[in-house]
Amino acid sequence: MIDNLAVKKGINMRIQKELRSWNVFDYINFIFMLLILVLCLYPFVFVLVGAFNEGNDYMRGGVYLFPRKWSLDNFTMVFNDKRLLIGFKNTVGRTVIGTITGTLFTSFVAYGMSRKDLPCRNLFYWFSIFTMFFGGGLVPFYLVLKSFNLINSFWVYIIPQLYSVFNMIIFVNFYKEIPEEIHEAGLIDGAKEFQIYRKLYLPLSIPVITTIAMWIGVGHWNSFFDSMVFTSDANLQTLQLFLVKLIKEAAMAQGEAATKVPSQVLKTVSITTIRYAAIVISTLPVILVYPFIQKHLAKGVIVGSIKG
Amino acid sequence: MRKERKRVNYTLLFMALSGFIFLIIFNYIPMFGIVIGFKDMDYVLNIKKALKASDFVGFENFIAFLKDKEFKNIMINTLGLNLLQLVITFPIPIIFAILLNELKLPKFKGAVQTITYFPYFISWVVFGGIILGMLSPEGGVINQILLSLGVIEDPLLFNSNPQYFWWIIIFSSVIKGLGWGAIIYIAAIAGIDQSLYDAAKVDGANRFHKNIYITLPCIAGTIVVMLLLSISGLLSSNFDQIYIFQNPLNLTRSEVLDTYIYKIGISQRRYSFTTAIGIFKSIISMLMLSSGHFVSKKFFGRGLF
Repeated sequence: MIDNLAVKKGINMRIQKELRSWNVFDYINFIFMLLILVLCLYPFVFVLVGAFNEGNDYMRGGVYLFPRKWSLDNFTMVFNDKRLLIGFKNTVGRTVIGTITGTLFTSFVAYGMSRKDLPCRNLFYWFSIFTMFFGGGLVPFYLVLKSFNLINSFWVYIIPQLYSVFNMIIFVNFYKEIPEEIHEAGLIDGAKEFQIYRKLYLPLSIPVITTIAMWIGVGHWNSFFDSMVFTSDANLQTLQLFLVKLIKEAAMAQGEAATKVPSQVLKTVSITTIRYAAIVISTLPVILVYPFIQKHLAKGVIVGSIKG
Repeated sequence: MRKERKRVNYTLLFMALSGFIFLIIFNYIPMFGIVIGFKDMDYVLNIKKALKASDFVGFENFIAFLKDKEFKNIMINTLGLNLLQLVITFPIPIIFAILLNELKLPKFKGAVQTITYFPYFISWVVFGGIILGMLSPEGGVINQILLSLGVIEDPLLFNSNPQYFWWIIIFSSVIKGLGWGAIIYIAAIAGIDQSLYDAAKVDGANRFHKNIYITLPCIAGTIVVMLLLSISGLLSSNFDQIYIFQNPLNLTRSEVLDTYIYKIGISQRRYSFTTAIGIFKSIISMLMLSSGHFVSKKFFGRGLF
């Protein structure tokens, strides 16, 4: 008890001491940061509250911080939509398979690119970097996918995402930091080049692998363009594309309702909260893993920026 | 002693070549696809056959785009929106990084970073969907706030009135990219030699002086590189973002090159026409990047590399 009080007093004194050193600017800065936190967090509160509120009641307005009329109907509606299940299946599938294959393949190529005894190393570099600044455009890319039979196939989500020059450069920068003695020690022990990569470099580069894997994974989870353009099969639709359709349809109905067809307002009433429920469900996995991955995500930018 | 000729390391060659082959297939072969832009292949059913059979038409597709009745509007939207976005959203992460660096409580600083990075990892579909909801005239919080403050009398139709479109795009970009855009500057600020600040303190500099005369010049290199990269992207829009906010009612202000290419090329199958637009876009971006690089090298002594 006494200890507890003493600790509390200590903390209080520390805070007081800290605050005494603040000037006007520090207070303004602190309040400004609080405002930014509200701006970044509130949209998610808004959507969460809407998802748990009854549809008709919500449309009367005024539900901004807590649900007024609690209801799980929105979630029931979304879970009964077959498209959500298909979307989840495809998105989880592409995220898991795409992240593993993409990360491993990029690190594999990067190892080759990072070694000084790679023949024509400069040529390989310029050849890679050029692709970061020039491309053929959407239609020729579509044709290439088509000639590999990737259109309307699940693999269109995986294969074109296997490799990225940007991530390769980040891997190379990391491999270069690994002391050359480790490579030499591997050679002396009789390891072949591939074994050195697999047994020594790969385990040593776990931090950068985690970062890149997170980036690739987030990219897979969030992407809808490839699903929209390269597939037309309803069974290949991703979660984000399902959301796009749900949101765009509702957005259009709303726009029309506001200008032309007032009678349609009734129809859109529940769409809004159903939409919010779908948004909450599809964002929940990201929110759940975010606390664990956020440190790794930021690290990669810093690793990558060292070269600049 | 003559140096022994090094043996070619085939394993490394294989590793690098596998990436090389990937780039050939998914990046270089499509580059040869730009011939589609110089042929007449619009509306064909079998593109592969047409690729061999169709005639070259020279720059006809490019001229058709320049004469297109949508051309002026699309260029205004693409360049106008991107320039405005550059002017507004480019400095904000820099200012944010400096202010964050001035923040006194380390734990609070960490929390601010963690929370402001978060929106970046949410897809534009989700984030856009939420913003659309917040702006909605029915149940949207923004209209409610404006109403109760007495700024407006009737709810504003943010989502269907074209005049708000650019501002919605810019404002949502700021919130979504604020924290993440600042990371690179935070890292650059962390790398500044502390003794510079100590020396300035001895000379009687206050915090404002320190930021203007030490922090900013020290991160100028990073700023220039980021600026050059943004300039090269002036013709590219964030497709996901524009697409989610776009609807038939705001097309006059929301149609940009990337959405137009998607709409005309994929949905309406005008392959040659859109490939030509794509080439037009790529070449102008390359020109802007390289001229930006040389200008900045000449005047500031630093470029992209």
